[in-house]
Amino acid sequence: MADVTLVHYGLGNIQAFAHIYQRLNLAVEVATTATQLAAAQHLILPGVGAFDWAIARLNASGMRDALDDAVLVRKVPVLGVCVGMQMMAERSDEGVEPGLGWIKGDVKAFDFHLDTQLPLPHMGWNDVDPVSNDCLFAGIEAPKYYFLHSYCIVPTDEADALATADYGNRFVSAVRHDNIFGTQFHPEKSHNWGIDLLRNFVRQ
Amino acid sequence: MLRPRIIPCLLIHKGGLVKTVQFGSPKYVGDPLNAVRIFNEKEVDELMVIDIDATRHGHAPDEAVIANLAAECRMPLAYGGGVKTVEQIERLIALGVEKVAVSSAAISDPDLIPRAAERVGRQSIIGVMDVKAGGLLRKTEVVTHNATKRTGLQPLEFAKRLEQLGVGEIVVNSVDRDGMMQGYDISLVDSIRAATNVPLTILGGAGTIDDIRKLVGRHTVIGAAAGSLFVFKGKFRAVLINYPDRNTHEGLYDCCRRVGDFGSE
Amino acid sequence: MMKGFLAKKLSDNNTGKLEVGTVMQEPRPYQICTKLVIDTTDPDATFDADGVCNHYHDFKLNVEPRWDTAERGRAALEQAVDVIKAAGKGKEFDCLMGMSGGADSSYMLHKMVTEYGLRPLVFHVDAGWNSEIAVHNINCIIDKLGLDLFTEVINWEEVRDFQLAMFKSGLPNIDGPQDIAFIGVLFQYAAKHGIKTILNGGNIATECVSYPLQYFYYADLKMTNTILKKYGTIKMASYPFTSSFYRKIYMPYVRGVKMFKPLNYMPYVKDEAMQEMADIYGWKPYAQKHFESRFTRFFEGYWLPTRFGYDVRRVQFSSLILAGQMTRDEALVKLEQSPYDPDIIQQDFDYIATKLRISSDELRSFLSMPQKFYWDYPNNKSYFELGEKILARVAGTKRGGAY
Repeated sequence: MADVTLVHYGLGNIQAFAHIYQRLNLAVEVATTATQLAAAQHLILPGVGAFDWAIARLNASGMRDALDDAVLVRKVPVLGVCVGMQMMAERSDEGVEPGLGWIKGDVKAFDFHLDTQLPLPHMGWNDVDPVSNDCLFAGIEAPKYYFLHSYCIVPTDEADALATADYGNRFVSAVRHDNIFGTQFHPEKSHNWGIDLLRNFVRQ
Repeated sequence: MLRPRIIPCLLIHKGGLVKTVQFGSPKYVGDPLNAVRIFNEKEVDELMVIDIDATRHGHAPDEAVIANLAAECRMPLAYGGGVKTVEQIERLIALGVEKVAVSSAAISDPDLIPRAAERVGRQSIIGVMDVKAGGLLRKTEVVTHNATKRTGLQPLEFAKRLEQLGVGEIVVNSVDRDGMMQGYDISLVDSIRAATNVPLTILGGAGTIDDIRKLVGRHTVIGAAAGSLFVFKGKFRAVLINYPDRNTHEGLYDCCRRVGDFGSE
Repeated sequence: MMKGFLAKKLSDNNTGKLEVGTVMQEPRPYQICTKLVIDTTDPDATFDADGVCNHYHDFKLNVEPRWDTAERGRAALEQAVDVIKAAGKGKEFDCLMGMSGGADSSYMLHKMVTEYGLRPLVFHVDAGWNSEIAVHNINCIIDKLGLDLFTEVINWEEVRDFQLAMFKSGLPNIDGPQDIAFIGVLFQYAAKHGIKTILNGGNIATECVSYPLQYFYYADLKMTNTILKKYGTIKMASYPFTSSFYRKIYMPYVRGVKMFKPLNYMPYVKDEAMQEMADIYGWKPYAQKHFESRFTRFFEGYWLPTRFGYDVRRVQFSSLILAGQMTRDEALVKLEQSPYDPDIIQQDFDYIATKLRISSDELRSFLSMPQKFYWDYPNNKSYFELGEKILARVAGTKRGGAY
């Protein structure tokens, strides 16, 4: 049985996650069908792309109901990454499709102070400030991660914010609600800071 | 806070890695795969790989090679060379490339950029412009196909156009400074930075870490890319992969904070 | 270190046990040396009535009496350095050395520049398998010593084709292509820059017990050409081949190029040397000797033990035992551990396959193919032996250990 199941709905860097978990000697399954999700122990919902396109691909994959079931009913730990996390919210400024609604809140376009006009997308290695040093960030010193995005999540309940980061404004860079985790940054592309985080996730 | 991105840039020619001077006289520097593996182990911020044959000889990206390179990267990988269609871009992203660069296609088929962005998101599309001084007045213009074709486009005007088309990043590559290791074209950077608001990465001319320090000290939110600097060592240009260690890297970040303090920190 | 330079690999088969054309002997009953950790997996090993192996006696008889790293050694080294300096006066470089980033070559460079003031031309050969630690170590030492490096990049397509041919040949020394390139470049540089002294990191302290010829035989052009003709697929247009005549006769006796091993004249305690370099240069140690090349790590750590049942650590640890840098008990404990890291071997295996552009299954198929040895291919071994004998007579080159 796989330790980690990667939800492969046609977007996102599945290979990068698979390589990291294989190097951690964990069993990885790439799921393309609802049946595969039924036995999942940890789920990763990756994503590189535009919000509406991501939702459309997830709907078209035939895995959406099984995913809802795994996450909301069986309470399987799930980690959404980048657009994979944004999809967990209720809606996004980037599109018109409704999100998965697992996390209460919206995805907003970056909104800077008037006096700071910083380039967008927010691209590069940014310090990340965890609200709590347990779970995902356990044992990770001076965490910094690779970001590549123009939108960020704004959870309705502040308690769902697991980490923040600063780019002109402070924004939520990681979320957690019960078994649901998400990072705006790319742990799969953040050297050992990311590998440690992905290892921590499967310990949840 | 956001750190400046220090990016090694590798050129692929006839299946091997090369380093050029002013886009010519390619010197063989080895096999791409092991080089990428070493750069990964050195924890580089990002890596850029450009196939300099693909566009010029009209062939598509070598997806098998790119997949193997991407598998070695625990950091973002940008790929450029021979990219012409949305489908290619989607496949490259699926292979594990974070950012796909378009150059000549951005001129011949400008619509490619918004169409691709709709699928993969604009953050994954790079517009590359190779710039070269030409003509009697040595005026800088945008060139393509490995600097063999002139476009007559001015860099500023083209940068603005790329931004309007919706690229997530612009890479400015100076043909004249390529491989010269005598510093970046700072005034060109200044003018493009002032005219656009997408992330910028500068390539061409870095010869020392100080050249990088000058660039990031001035612009902070910027990518400093280099080829020769990270594959050559010393006056004999000995091939030896290198990259600033963590302390040196953090030092660059200090110089940024002084000149470009922003945000609430 | 440029282990490939070690003449001992070619010359130390004085047991006369294996002749060209013989088949492998019947397996011997298992035995391990009571002084060292050499056992019957070493085809060159013989054991006396007390269970002590020939390597031990060779060391005690031929090497130890001449090995002095105190006053006599220092005096000899200073004298040699004076000669080198005098010959190099007015020239940009006074000696030549290869730098792999390993401990031996690094320490030799450190000592010869900082303590003895030599001005070496330092070159590195990139055969496509450098580890990050190797490039880091070269970089930090070259920088702090203020030297300028040369690098020779061997065409990867040729290295790949040559290495694949070696796999297909069934021979043990699939790492031969790298060593052949190192030696070839070394002599090319000596010839091109007109340098008469080659510094070699070979040393008694960590290498006095020789590697078994049966597993390490290489650098034989006749054998190489046969293998390349049979299994190679591309022309070796730029590979730096050199003949043994060129290396052993022409260069030393016509061009006057001499090999010198400074580490044999000074105290060289590996652990202390590595610590010293870590403190001064930020040098990083390796898990095992020769592991600066990813391929050598695979060859010595996995391929030889798995396919041929031979573990190079027996030779390496035995050298350290003879040099007083390890106890036999310590060596036995270390030998209990797998020669490779089981957690990463699968990744290493896949990387080797990917780099050679074959599938992991194809690489695995080489692992179980019939074993071949140098006597299964045409070779020049008998000429080498004759040559060695004549040289020993004429020029007094008969070696003792790593001298």
